[in-house]
Amino acid sequence: MAKTPCPFFELKNAVVGIAGLGGLGSNVAVALTRLRVGKLILADFDVVDESNLNRQNYFHDQIGRHKVDASLENLRRIDPEANLSGHKVRLTPDNIPQVFAGAHIIAECFDRADQKRMIVETVLSKMKDVIVVGVSGLAGYGRSNEIRTTRLSSRLVLIGDGVSGTGPGIPLTAGRVGVAAYHQANAITEILLNELGSILLRKES
Amino acid sequence: MNATLKINGQVREFAERLPATLAELLKTLHIDEATIVAELDGKIIPHAEFSTAVLRENASIELVRFVGGG
Repeated sequence: MAKTPCPFFELKNAVVGIAGLGGLGSNVAVALTRLRVGKLILADFDVVDESNLNRQNYFHDQIGRHKVDASLENLRRIDPEANLSGHKVRLTPDNIPQVFAGAHIIAECFDRADQKRMIVETVLSKMKDVIVVGVSGLAGYGRSNEIRTTRLSSRLVLIGDGVSGTGPGIPLTAGRVGVAAYHQANAITEILLNELGSILLRKES
Repeated sequence: MNATLKINGQVREFAERLPATLAELLKTLHIDEATIVAELDGKIIPHAEFSTAVLRENASIELVRFVGGG
């Protein structure tokens, strides 16, 4: 059976980096694969743990495997022809520009606040013209409408309620993490089509 | 005379003197500097340079705070 054609053919020239493959990144990667974004660059050093299954896009039989390998397998079940590259590395200010070389947009999908800060700061200061879409404030449940997408500058989009961090008694839940992840995917889609569309189309010629 | 900074678009006055550096400002505001992306007069200041980033009168500062979870 033929694949449903992608309505946005220019997206096949888009490159998106996903920094971290946890509750945010594993779900952002699914959405962007379904959108047929041309290339996804995935980076995470971690392995799938049973405690991840409450919100991350992995399966019980993938426990113990690298998240990069498990994600590549899952995404290829959606689209066997997806152009994906996986990096099992701990991201640092030194290797981020190389790992995500060629990306138009990078999704910040880390868990720890200081790591979120590190990647956003690195992209903004070291990667000319690259846009970063980060998340701050998604813990707990309910309050879906308090998760907002805010354009802070030409190169920085921030998603979340800004205040709900994880802590004792404040869990991460599939619904609310998913809301934030799909805000990210939707913001990336919007920027690729509305702002980078003409750049992506020019690559055709 | 009061000293002022513009923080996230809002003018903030300091009674005696300006915090000398970005790191001192964040300490004054009781913000964990490890979670902050800061822009000073339009330039991103890497976290490692917070303690040497000198603030001048009327400097424009944008602070983006990250909380954990993902």
